[in-house]
Amino acid sequence: MRPLQQPLSLSASLNGYASFFVRCMKASFAYRATVITNLATTAIFYAITIMVWRQVYSQNSNLTISSSQMFIYLLLAGCGNYALGGMVVEFRIGNRIRTGLIATDLLKPVDFQISQGIQALSDGLFNGSLSIVVFLLGFCVFKEQMFPASLQALGLSILSFLLGLVVMYGIGFVFVQGAFYTYSGYGIFAARNALQGTFSGVFAPLSFYPPVLKTVAEWLPYRHTIYTPISIYMGWAKDNDAYSLILQQAAWAVGLLLLGRFLMKYALKQLEIQGG
Amino acid sequence: MKNLKLYWLAFNTSLQAKFEYRVDFLLGVLTSCMLQLSALAQLWIIFHQTHGLNGWIPDQVILLFGMTAMALGLSELFFNHIWMVPGYIVMGDLDRLLTYPVNSLYFLLITKPELHAFGNLITGLVLTVIALFHLNAPWYAWVLFPILAISGCLIYTAALVIFAALSFRYIGPSSMHLMIPHALLNATRYPISIYPQFMQLIVLILVPYGVFHYLPASFLFGKDPSFWMIFVTPLAALLFFWESGCVWRWGLNQYESTGS
Repeated sequence: MRPLQQPLSLSASLNGYASFFVRCMKASFAYRATVITNLATTAIFYAITIMVWRQVYSQNSNLTISSSQMFIYLLLAGCGNYALGGMVVEFRIGNRIRTGLIATDLLKPVDFQISQGIQALSDGLFNGSLSIVVFLLGFCVFKEQMFPASLQALGLSILSFLLGLVVMYGIGFVFVQGAFYTYSGYGIFAARNALQGTFSGVFAPLSFYPPVLKTVAEWLPYRHTIYTPISIYMGWAKDNDAYSLILQQAAWAVGLLLLGRFLMKYALKQLEIQGG
Repeated sequence: MKNLKLYWLAFNTSLQAKFEYRVDFLLGVLTSCMLQLSALAQLWIIFHQTHGLNGWIPDQVILLFGMTAMALGLSELFFNHIWMVPGYIVMGDLDRLLTYPVNSLYFLLITKPELHAFGNLITGLVLTVIALFHLNAPWYAWVLFPILAISGCLIYTAALVIFAALSFRYIGPSSMHLMIPHALLNATRYPISIYPQFMQLIVLILVPYGVFHYLPASFLFGKDPSFWMIFVTPLAALLFFWESGCVWRWGLNQYESTGS
Protein backbone atom coordinates (compact mmCIF):
# COMPACT_ATOMS: atom_id res chain seq x y z
CA MET A 1 0.00 0.00 0.00
CA ARG A 2 1.15 3.57 -0.60
CA PRO A 3 2.94 5.02 2.44
CA LEU A 4 1.55 8.19 4.03
CA GLN A 5 4.98 9.85 4.08
CA GLN A 6 6.96 10.98 1.06
CA PRO A 7 8.32 7.90 -0.75
CA LEU A 8 12.05 7.21 -0.50
CA SER A 9 14.44 7.02 -3.41
CA LEU A 10 14.87 3.60 -5.00
CA SER A 11 18.19 2.84 -3.29
CA ALA A 12 16.88 3.96 0.11
CA SER A 13 13.77 1.80 -0.38
CA LEU A 14 15.89 -1.21 -1.28
CA ASN A 15 18.02 -0.64 1.81
CA GLY A 16 14.86 -0.48 3.90
CA TYR A 17 13.48 -3.72 2.46
CA ALA A 18 16.85 -5.43 2.94
CA SER A 19 16.86 -4.45 6.61
CA PHE A 20 13.33 -5.94 6.98
CA PHE A 21 14.68 -9.17 5.47
CA VAL A 22 17.73 -9.32 7.76
CA ARG A 23 15.80 -8.37 10.90
CA CYS A 24 13.23 -11.06 10.23
CA MET A 25 15.95 -13.65 9.66
CA LYS A 26 17.59 -12.71 12.99
CA ALA A 27 14.23 -13.00 14.78
CA SER A 28 13.82 -16.51 13.33
CA PHE A 29 17.21 -17.50 14.75
CA ALA A 30 16.24 -16.07 18.16
CA TYR A 31 13.19 -18.32 18.63
CA ARG A 32 15.05 -21.63 18.53
CA ALA A 33 12.55 -23.64 20.60
CA THR A 34 9.72 -22.56 18.30
CA VAL A 35 11.75 -23.49 15.24
CA ILE A 36 12.58 -26.94 16.63
CA THR A 37 9.03 -27.75 17.75
CA ASN A 38 7.70 -26.49 14.43
CA LEU A 39 10.10 -28.80 12.62
CA ALA A 40 9.16 -31.71 14.90
CA THR A 41 5.44 -31.21 14.24
CA THR A 42 5.96 -31.12 10.47
CA ALA A 43 8.19 -34.21 10.74
CA ILE A 44 5.48 -36.09 12.67
CA PHE A 45 2.82 -35.08 10.13
CA TYR A 46 4.95 -36.36 7.25
CA ALA A 47 6.08 -39.49 9.08
CA ILE A 48 2.38 -40.35 9.51
CA THR A 49 1.64 -39.53 5.88
CA ILE A 50 4.52 -41.73 4.71
CA MET A 51 3.38 -44.60 6.97
CA VAL A 52 -0.15 -44.36 5.56
CA TRP A 53 1.10 -44.43 1.96
CA ARG A 54 3.49 -47.28 2.78
CA GLN A 55 0.41 -49.28 3.78
CA VAL A 56 -1.39 -48.30 0.55
CA TYR A 57 1.62 -49.44 -1.52
CA SER A 58 1.82 -52.72 0.39
CA GLN A 59 -1.77 -53.41 -0.68
CA ASN A 60 -1.65 -52.05 -4.22
CA SER A 61 1.62 -52.20 -6.14
CA ASN A 62 0.03 -51.12 -9.44
CA LEU A 63 -0.06 -47.41 -8.69
CA THR A 64 0.97 -44.96 -11.42
CA ILE A 65 3.94 -43.66 -9.39
CA SER A 66 6.54 -46.04 -7.90
CA SER A 67 6.78 -46.19 -4.11
CA SER A 68 10.29 -44.67 -4.00
CA GLN A 69 9.15 -41.77 -6.22
CA MET A 70 6.15 -41.29 -3.96
CA PHE A 71 8.25 -41.14 -0.79
CA ILE A 72 10.69 -38.71 -2.44
CA TYR A 73 7.68 -36.61 -3.46
CA LEU A 74 6.41 -36.62 0.13
CA LEU A 75 9.83 -35.65 1.52
CA LEU A 76 10.03 -32.73 -0.90
CA ALA A 77 6.43 -31.78 -0.15
CA GLY A 78 7.33 -31.80 3.56
CA CYS A 79 10.28 -29.46 2.91
CA GLY A 80 8.13 -27.17 0.78
CA ASN A 81 5.28 -27.18 3.26
CA TYR A 82 7.64 -26.36 6.13
CA ALA A 83 9.03 -23.41 4.19
CA LEU A 84 5.54 -22.14 3.32
CA GLY A 85 4.24 -22.74 6.85
CA GLY A 86 6.93 -20.42 8.22
CA MET A 87 5.52 -17.46 6.34
CA VAL A 88 2.53 -17.08 8.74
CA VAL A 89 1.14 -14.18 6.69
CA GLU A 90 -2.31 -14.37 8.30
CA PHE A 91 -0.96 -14.17 11.84
CA ARG A 92 1.67 -11.52 11.21
CA ILE A 93 -0.54 -9.09 9.26
CA GLY A 94 -3.79 -10.15 10.96
CA ASN A 95 -2.41 -9.27 14.40
CA ARG A 96 -1.22 -5.89 13.16
CA ILE A 97 -4.68 -5.13 11.77
CA ARG A 98 -6.50 -6.21 14.92
CA THR A 99 -4.17 -4.41 17.34
CA GLY A 100 -4.03 -1.28 15.22
CA LEU A 101 -0.25 -1.54 14.70
CA ILE A 102 -0.95 -1.31 10.99
CA ALA A 103 -1.43 2.44 11.54
CA THR A 104 2.28 2.81 12.35
CA ASP A 105 3.20 0.53 9.44
CA LEU A 106 1.34 2.80 7.06
CA LEU A 107 3.29 5.79 8.37
CA LYS A 108 6.58 4.20 7.33
CA PRO A 109 7.98 5.41 4.01
CA VAL A 110 7.86 1.94 2.47
CA ASP A 111 5.13 0.03 0.69
CA PHE A 112 3.14 -2.08 3.20
CA GLN A 113 2.52 -5.02 0.90
CA ILE A 114 6.14 -5.22 -0.26
CA SER A 115 7.64 -4.81 3.23
CA GLN A 116 5.37 -7.52 4.66
CA GLY A 117 6.16 -9.70 1.65
CA ILE A 118 9.91 -9.32 2.22
CA GLN A 119 9.46 -10.43 5.85
CA ALA A 120 7.30 -13.40 4.85
CA LEU A 121 9.85 -14.36 2.20
CA SER A 122 12.64 -14.15 4.79
CA ASP A 123 10.72 -16.51 7.12
CA GLY A 124 9.94 -18.87 4.24
CA LEU A 125 13.58 -19.02 3.11
CA PHE A 126 14.78 -19.51 6.70
CA ASN A 127 12.46 -22.50 7.15
CA GLY A 128 13.31 -23.72 3.67
CA SER A 129 17.02 -23.72 4.50
CA LEU A 130 16.34 -25.76 7.66
CA SER A 131 14.55 -28.38 5.63
CA ILE A 132 17.85 -29.13 3.89
CA VAL A 133 18.38 -31.52 6.83
CA VAL A 134 15.35 -33.52 5.68
CA PHE A 135 16.64 -33.33 2.11
CA LEU A 136 20.01 -34.81 3.16
CA LEU A 137 18.20 -37.51 5.10
CA GLY A 138 16.40 -38.34 1.87
CA PHE A 139 19.75 -38.65 0.09
CA CYS A 140 20.92 -41.15 2.73
CA VAL A 141 17.84 -43.32 2.09
CA PHE A 142 17.12 -42.91 -1.63
CA LYS A 143 20.68 -42.17 -2.87
CA GLU A 144 20.81 -40.96 -6.51
CA GLN A 145 17.02 -41.25 -6.86
CA MET A 146 16.83 -38.01 -4.87
CA PHE A 147 18.70 -36.12 -7.63
CA PRO A 148 16.64 -33.82 -9.85
CA ALA A 149 15.66 -35.13 -13.28
CA SER A 150 18.26 -32.85 -14.96
CA LEU A 151 20.24 -29.67 -14.34
CA GLN A 152 17.55 -27.75 -16.18
CA ALA A 153 14.94 -29.30 -13.89
CA LEU A 154 16.96 -28.21 -10.86
CA GLY A 155 17.22 -24.61 -12.06
CA LEU A 156 13.56 -24.39 -13.05
CA SER A 157 12.37 -26.03 -9.84
CA ILE A 158 14.31 -23.50 -7.71
CA LEU A 159 12.70 -20.69 -9.71
CA SER A 160 9.35 -22.41 -9.32
CA PHE A 161 9.85 -22.81 -5.56
CA LEU A 162 10.61 -19.07 -5.20
CA LEU A 163 7.54 -18.23 -7.28
CA GLY A 164 5.59 -20.64 -5.06
CA LEU A 165 6.56 -18.55 -2.03
CA VAL A 166 5.26 -15.42 -3.78
CA VAL A 167 2.00 -17.18 -4.75
CA MET A 168 1.62 -18.30 -1.12
CA TYR A 169 2.18 -14.76 0.10
CA GLY A 170 -0.34 -13.49 -2.44
CA ILE A 171 -2.95 -16.00 -1.23
CA GLY A 172 -2.28 -15.13 2.42
CA PHE A 173 -2.47 -11.40 1.68
CA VAL A 174 -5.86 -11.78 0.01
CA PHE A 175 -7.21 -13.90 2.88
CA VAL A 176 -5.87 -11.60 5.61
CA GLN A 177 -8.02 -8.75 4.31
CA GLY A 178 -10.79 -10.55 6.18
CA ALA A 179 -9.08 -9.44 9.43
CA PHE A 180 -10.48 -5.94 8.79
CA TYR A 181 -13.98 -7.34 9.25
CA THR A 182 -13.55 -10.02 11.94
CA TYR A 183 -11.92 -10.06 15.38
CA SER A 184 -10.70 -13.63 15.20
CA GLY A 185 -7.67 -14.62 13.15
CA TYR A 186 -8.47 -18.31 13.42
CA GLY A 187 -11.15 -18.36 10.73
CA ILE A 188 -8.95 -16.71 8.13
CA PHE A 189 -6.02 -18.99 8.86
CA ALA A 190 -8.18 -22.14 8.98
CA ALA A 191 -9.97 -21.36 5.71
CA ARG A 192 -6.71 -20.79 3.85
CA ASN A 193 -5.12 -23.81 5.53
CA ALA A 194 -8.02 -26.09 4.60
CA LEU A 195 -7.87 -25.08 0.93
CA GLN A 196 -4.07 -25.27 0.89
CA GLY A 197 -4.13 -28.73 2.53
CA THR A 198 -6.64 -30.04 0.01
CA PHE A 199 -5.51 -28.58 -3.28
CA SER A 200 -1.74 -27.98 -3.04
CA GLY A 201 -0.67 -31.60 -3.35
CA VAL A 202 0.81 -31.54 0.14
CA PHE A 203 -0.54 -35.01 0.93
CA ALA A 204 -0.19 -36.70 -2.47
CA PRO A 205 0.64 -35.82 -6.08
CA LEU A 206 -2.31 -34.45 -8.05
CA SER A 207 -2.22 -37.49 -10.34
CA PHE A 208 -3.50 -39.53 -7.35
CA TYR A 209 -6.51 -37.27 -6.83
CA PRO A 210 -10.04 -38.37 -7.73
CA PRO A 211 -11.04 -36.63 -11.02
CA VAL A 212 -13.37 -34.06 -9.39
CA LEU A 213 -10.78 -33.00 -6.82
CA LYS A 214 -8.06 -32.87 -9.46
CA THR A 215 -10.12 -30.65 -11.76
CA VAL A 216 -10.83 -28.19 -8.95
CA ALA A 217 -7.14 -28.23 -7.90
CA GLU A 218 -6.09 -27.35 -11.47
CA TRP A 219 -8.28 -24.24 -11.45
CA LEU A 220 -6.91 -22.91 -8.16
CA PRO A 221 -3.49 -21.39 -7.34
CA TYR A 222 -2.67 -23.73 -4.42
CA ARG A 223 -1.00 -26.44 -6.52
CA HIS A 224 1.61 -23.89 -7.61
CA THR A 225 2.93 -23.71 -4.04
CA ILE A 226 3.84 -27.41 -3.64
CA TYR A 227 2.97 -29.65 -6.57
CA THR A 228 4.34 -27.53 -9.43
CA PRO A 229 7.94 -27.08 -8.12
CA ILE A 230 8.17 -30.76 -7.19
CA SER A 231 6.75 -32.02 -10.49
CA ILE A 232 9.41 -29.96 -12.31
CA TYR A 233 12.17 -31.23 -9.98
CA MET A 234 11.16 -34.83 -10.51
CA GLY A 235 10.88 -34.46 -14.27
CA TRP A 236 7.12 -35.09 -14.44
CA ALA A 237 6.82 -31.69 -16.14
CA LYS A 238 9.57 -31.11 -18.73
CA ASP A 239 10.54 -28.52 -21.34
CA ASN A 240 7.45 -26.68 -22.61
CA ASP A 241 5.25 -28.08 -19.86
CA ALA A 242 7.65 -26.81 -17.20
CA TYR A 243 7.90 -23.36 -18.82
CA SER A 244 4.14 -23.19 -19.10
CA LEU A 245 3.74 -24.05 -15.41
CA ILE A 246 6.23 -21.36 -14.41
CA LEU A 247 4.38 -18.81 -16.52
CA GLN A 248 1.13 -19.83 -14.83
CA GLN A 249 2.79 -19.44 -11.43
CA ALA A 250 4.05 -15.96 -12.34
CA ALA A 251 0.60 -14.98 -13.61
CA TRP A 252 -1.05 -16.21 -10.39
CA ALA A 253 1.59 -14.39 -8.28
CA VAL A 254 1.01 -11.06 -10.06
CA GLY A 255 -2.77 -11.53 -10.11
CA LEU A 256 -2.99 -12.35 -6.41
CA LEU A 257 -0.72 -9.47 -5.38
CA LEU A 258 -2.79 -7.03 -7.44
CA LEU A 259 -6.03 -8.45 -6.03
CA GLY A 260 -4.61 -8.10 -2.50
CA ARG A 261 -3.73 -4.43 -3.13
CA PHE A 262 -7.18 -3.76 -4.57
CA LEU A 263 -8.95 -5.40 -1.60
CA MET A 264 -6.77 -3.60 0.94
CA LYS A 265 -7.53 -0.23 -0.63
CA TYR A 266 -11.20 -0.75 0.27
CA ALA A 267 -10.62 -2.61 3.53
CA LEU A 268 -8.53 0.28 4.91
CA LYS A 269 -11.64 2.48 4.81
CA GLN A 270 -13.15 0.04 7.30
CA LEU A 271 -10.24 0.35 9.76
CA GLU A 272 -10.92 1.87 13.16
CA ILE A 273 -7.96 2.54 15.46
CA GLN A 274 -8.57 3.11 19.15
CA GLY A 275 -7.10 6.44 20.20
CA GLY A 276 -5.66 5.29 23.54
CA MET B 1 -20.20 -28.91 45.00
CA LYS B 2 -19.63 -25.20 45.66
CA ASN B 3 -16.56 -25.31 43.42
CA LEU B 4 -18.48 -27.09 40.68
CA LYS B 5 -21.00 -24.23 40.64
CA LEU B 6 -18.14 -21.77 40.42
CA TYR B 7 -16.56 -23.64 37.49
CA TRP B 8 -19.92 -23.76 35.70
CA LEU B 9 -20.48 -20.04 36.26
CA ALA B 10 -17.01 -19.23 34.91
CA PHE B 11 -17.54 -21.43 31.87
CA ASN B 12 -20.99 -20.05 31.18
CA THR B 13 -19.83 -16.44 31.42
CA SER B 14 -16.92 -17.07 29.04
CA LEU B 15 -19.25 -18.85 26.63
CA GLN B 16 -21.73 -15.97 26.59
CA ALA B 17 -18.92 -13.48 26.02
CA LYS B 18 -17.76 -15.52 23.03
CA PHE B 19 -21.28 -15.69 21.56
CA GLU B 20 -21.30 -11.87 21.40
CA TYR B 21 -19.03 -12.07 18.33
CA ARG B 22 -21.54 -13.69 16.01
CA VAL B 23 -19.62 -13.26 12.75
CA ASP B 24 -16.52 -14.81 14.34
CA PHE B 25 -18.64 -17.66 15.64
CA LEU B 26 -20.14 -18.44 12.24
CA LEU B 27 -16.82 -18.03 10.45
CA GLY B 28 -15.05 -20.21 13.02
CA VAL B 29 -17.63 -23.01 12.71
CA LEU B 30 -17.57 -22.85 8.92
CA THR B 31 -13.79 -22.92 8.67
CA SER B 32 -13.28 -25.70 11.20
CA CYS B 33 -15.78 -27.74 9.14
CA MET B 34 -13.60 -26.88 6.12
CA LEU B 35 -10.50 -28.17 7.93
CA GLN B 36 -12.24 -31.46 8.72
CA LEU B 37 -13.45 -31.76 5.13
CA SER B 38 -9.90 -31.10 3.93
CA ALA B 39 -8.71 -34.03 6.05
CA LEU B 40 -11.62 -36.10 4.75
CA ALA B 41 -10.45 -35.30 1.20
CA GLN B 42 -7.16 -37.01 2.11
CA LEU B 43 -9.11 -40.15 2.98
CA TRP B 44 -10.91 -39.82 -0.34
CA ILE B 45 -7.53 -39.67 -2.15
CA ILE B 46 -6.35 -42.79 -0.29
CA PHE B 47 -9.50 -44.79 -1.01
CA HIS B 48 -9.28 -43.70 -4.64
CA GLN B 49 -6.08 -45.78 -4.76
CA THR B 50 -7.01 -48.71 -2.50
CA HIS B 51 -10.19 -50.38 -1.24
CA GLY B 52 -9.21 -50.58 2.41
CA LEU B 53 -6.45 -49.99 4.93
CA ASN B 54 -5.13 -53.19 6.47
CA GLY B 55 -8.58 -54.75 6.40
CA TRP B 56 -10.46 -51.61 7.46
CA ILE B 57 -13.07 -50.59 4.89
CA PRO B 58 -13.82 -46.88 4.21
CA ASP B 59 -16.89 -46.68 6.52
CA GLN B 60 -14.89 -48.13 9.40
CA VAL B 61 -12.09 -45.61 8.86
CA ILE B 62 -14.67 -42.81 8.66
CA LEU B 63 -15.94 -43.91 12.07
CA LEU B 64 -12.41 -43.46 13.50
CA PHE B 65 -12.18 -40.12 11.71
CA GLY B 66 -15.53 -38.93 13.10
CA MET B 67 -14.70 -40.00 16.65
CA THR B 68 -11.37 -38.16 16.46
CA ALA B 69 -13.11 -34.99 15.28
CA MET B 70 -15.64 -35.27 18.13
CA ALA B 71 -12.92 -35.70 20.77
CA LEU B 72 -11.11 -32.68 19.33
CA GLY B 73 -14.31 -30.61 19.20
CA LEU B 74 -15.28 -31.44 22.80
CA SER B 75 -11.80 -30.57 24.05
CA GLU B 76 -11.83 -27.24 22.20
CA LEU B 77 -15.28 -26.44 23.51
CA PHE B 78 -14.60 -27.16 27.17
CA PHE B 79 -10.84 -27.07 27.74
CA ASN B 80 -9.29 -24.88 25.04
CA HIS B 81 -7.58 -22.46 27.43
CA ILE B 82 -4.65 -24.85 27.83
CA TRP B 83 -3.25 -23.57 24.51
CA MET B 84 -2.58 -20.16 26.14
CA VAL B 85 -0.46 -21.52 29.00
CA PRO B 86 3.01 -21.11 27.39
CA GLY B 87 2.30 -17.41 26.76
CA TYR B 88 0.90 -16.92 30.27
CA ILE B 89 4.00 -18.47 31.83
CA VAL B 90 6.35 -16.11 30.00
CA MET B 91 4.20 -13.05 30.74
CA GLY B 92 3.69 -13.97 34.40
CA ASP B 93 -0.08 -14.02 33.88
CA LEU B 94 -0.49 -17.24 35.84
CA ASP B 95 0.10 -15.30 39.09
CA ARG B 96 -3.46 -13.98 39.03
CA LEU B 97 -4.89 -17.46 38.56
CA LEU B 98 -2.82 -18.89 41.39
CA THR B 99 -4.35 -16.46 43.87
CA TYR B 100 -7.86 -17.86 43.25
CA PRO B 101 -9.19 -20.37 45.83
CA VAL B 102 -9.78 -23.01 43.14
CA ASN B 103 -7.85 -25.79 41.44
CA SER B 104 -5.67 -23.82 39.01
CA LEU B 105 -5.71 -26.47 36.28
CA TYR B 106 -9.47 -27.06 36.22
CA PHE B 107 -10.27 -23.36 36.42
CA LEU B 108 -7.79 -22.54 33.67
CA LEU B 109 -9.08 -25.28 31.40
CA ILE B 110 -12.70 -24.21 31.39
CA THR B 111 -12.45 -20.44 31.23
CA LYS B 112 -11.88 -19.96 27.52
CA PRO B 113 -14.22 -22.11 25.44
CA GLU B 114 -13.58 -21.95 21.71
CA LEU B 115 -16.69 -21.74 19.57
CA HIS B 116 -15.14 -23.01 16.35
CA ALA B 117 -15.20 -26.30 18.27
CA PHE B 118 -18.82 -26.66 17.10
CA GLY B 119 -17.51 -27.13 13.55
CA ASN B 120 -15.33 -30.08 14.56
CA LEU B 121 -18.05 -31.44 16.83
CA ILE B 122 -20.79 -31.26 14.19
CA THR B 123 -18.60 -32.73 11.44
CA GLY B 124 -17.46 -35.51 13.78
CA LEU B 125 -20.99 -36.28 14.92
CA VAL B 126 -22.38 -36.39 11.39
CA LEU B 127 -19.58 -38.65 10.12
CA THR B 128 -19.83 -40.98 13.14
CA VAL B 129 -23.60 -41.34 12.80
CA ILE B 130 -23.34 -41.96 9.04
CA ALA B 131 -20.62 -44.57 9.57
CA LEU B 132 -22.57 -46.35 12.34
CA PHE B 133 -25.67 -46.46 10.10
CA HIS B 134 -23.73 -47.82 7.12
CA LEU B 135 -22.07 -50.44 9.29
CA ASN B 136 -25.38 -51.56 10.86
CA ALA B 137 -23.83 -51.06 14.28
CA PRO B 138 -25.50 -52.89 17.21
CA TRP B 139 -27.49 -50.90 19.80
CA TYR B 140 -24.66 -50.86 22.35
CA ALA B 141 -22.38 -49.08 19.88
CA TRP B 142 -24.89 -46.19 19.80
CA VAL B 143 -25.00 -46.10 23.60
CA LEU B 144 -21.24 -46.27 23.94
CA PHE B 145 -20.08 -43.76 21.36
CA PRO B 146 -20.89 -40.60 23.40
CA ILE B 147 -19.00 -42.09 26.37
CA LEU B 148 -16.08 -42.96 24.12
CA ALA B 149 -16.05 -39.46 22.60
CA ILE B 150 -15.98 -37.88 26.09
CA SER B 151 -13.15 -40.24 27.04
CA GLY B 152 -11.30 -39.20 23.88
CA CYS B 153 -11.76 -35.56 24.83
CA LEU B 154 -10.26 -36.22 28.29
CA ILE B 155 -7.29 -38.14 26.86
CA TYR B 156 -6.54 -35.45 24.27
CA THR B 157 -6.86 -32.67 26.86
CA ALA B 158 -4.60 -34.58 29.27
CA ALA B 159 -1.96 -34.91 26.54
CA LEU B 160 -2.17 -31.15 25.93
CA VAL B 161 -1.83 -30.47 29.67
CA ILE B 162 1.33 -32.61 29.85
CA PHE B 163 2.92 -30.84 26.89
CA ALA B 164 1.82 -27.41 28.18
CA ALA B 165 3.38 -28.18 31.59
CA LEU B 166 6.75 -28.61 29.85
CA SER B 167 6.62 -24.86 29.22
CA PHE B 168 7.08 -24.28 32.94
CA ARG B 169 10.66 -25.45 32.60
CA TYR B 170 11.86 -26.07 29.08
CA ILE B 171 9.98 -24.36 26.28
CA GLY B 172 9.38 -20.70 25.42
CA PRO B 173 6.27 -18.61 24.74
CA SER B 174 5.07 -20.42 21.62
CA SER B 175 2.32 -23.05 21.76
CA MET B 176 3.77 -24.89 18.78
CA HIS B 177 4.88 -27.87 20.87
CA LEU B 178 1.22 -28.50 21.67
CA MET B 179 0.84 -29.33 18.00
CA ILE B 180 2.74 -32.57 18.68
CA PRO B 181 -0.10 -34.23 20.67
CA HIS B 182 -2.48 -32.70 18.11
CA ALA B 183 -0.57 -34.33 15.24
CA LEU B 184 -0.56 -37.64 17.11
CA LEU B 185 -4.33 -37.41 17.59
CA ASN B 186 -4.71 -36.87 13.86
CA ALA B 187 -2.61 -39.99 13.28
CA THR B 188 -5.36 -42.03 14.92
CA ARG B 189 -7.82 -41.04 12.21
CA TYR B 190 -6.34 -44.06 10.47
CA PRO B 191 -6.36 -47.64 11.85
CA ILE B 192 -3.43 -47.90 14.27
CA SER B 193 -2.55 -51.36 12.91
CA ILE B 194 -1.09 -49.75 9.75
CA TYR B 195 1.71 -48.16 11.78
CA PRO B 196 5.00 -49.79 12.83
CA GLN B 197 5.26 -51.24 16.35
CA PHE B 198 6.92 -48.20 17.96
CA MET B 199 4.19 -45.90 16.67
CA GLN B 200 1.48 -48.26 17.93
CA LEU B 201 3.10 -48.17 21.37
CA ILE B 202 3.10 -44.37 21.34
CA VAL B 203 -0.60 -43.98 20.46
CA LEU B 204 -1.83 -46.91 22.55
CA ILE B 205 0.30 -46.66 25.71
CA LEU B 206 2.28 -43.43 25.95
CA VAL B 207 -0.50 -41.13 24.73
CA PRO B 208 -3.41 -43.59 24.72
CA TYR B 209 -5.54 -42.12 21.96
CA GLY B 210 -6.16 -45.55 20.51
CA VAL B 211 -8.23 -46.70 23.48
CA PHE B 212 -11.15 -44.36 22.82
CA HIS B 213 -11.94 -45.40 19.25
CA TYR B 214 -9.51 -47.89 17.73
CA LEU B 215 -9.76 -50.62 20.41
CA PRO B 216 -13.57 -50.46 20.81
CA ALA B 217 -13.96 -50.36 17.01
CA SER B 218 -11.65 -53.38 16.68
CA PHE B 219 -14.02 -55.31 18.95
CA LEU B 220 -17.11 -53.96 17.23
CA PHE B 221 -15.89 -55.02 13.77
CA GLY B 222 -14.68 -58.42 14.96
CA LYS B 223 -10.98 -57.63 14.44
CA ASP B 224 -10.22 -58.38 18.08
CA PRO B 225 -12.50 -60.49 20.29
CA SER B 226 -11.47 -58.86 23.61
CA PHE B 227 -14.76 -57.55 25.03
CA TRP B 228 -12.98 -55.81 27.92
CA MET B 229 -11.57 -53.25 25.48
CA ILE B 230 -14.84 -51.34 25.66
CA PHE B 231 -14.62 -50.91 29.42
CA VAL B 232 -10.96 -50.01 29.52
CA THR B 233 -11.60 -46.69 27.72
CA PRO B 234 -13.12 -44.57 30.53
CA LEU B 235 -10.63 -46.00 33.02
CA ALA B 236 -7.69 -45.17 30.76
CA ALA B 237 -9.09 -41.67 30.23
CA LEU B 238 -9.45 -40.98 33.95
CA LEU B 239 -6.02 -42.44 34.72
CA PHE B 240 -4.32 -40.39 32.00
CA PHE B 241 -6.15 -37.24 33.14
CA TRP B 242 -4.94 -37.87 36.69
CA GLU B 243 -1.39 -38.33 35.37
CA SER B 244 -1.63 -35.01 33.56
CA GLY B 245 -2.69 -33.38 36.84
CA CYS B 246 0.48 -34.74 38.47
CA VAL B 247 2.64 -33.34 35.65
CA TRP B 248 0.83 -29.99 35.97
CA ARG B 249 1.61 -29.87 39.71
CA TRP B 250 5.24 -30.70 38.93
CA GLY B 251 5.26 -27.85 36.43
CA LEU B 252 3.71 -25.40 38.89
CA ASN B 253 6.49 -26.21 41.36
CA GLN B 254 8.98 -25.01 38.73
CA TYR B 255 7.07 -21.78 38.06
CA GLU B 256 8.96 -18.64 39.10
CA SER B 257 6.74 -15.87 37.73
CA THR B 258 8.33 -12.87 35.99
CA GLY B 259 8.44 -10.44 38.88
CA SER B 260 6.53 -7.78 36.92
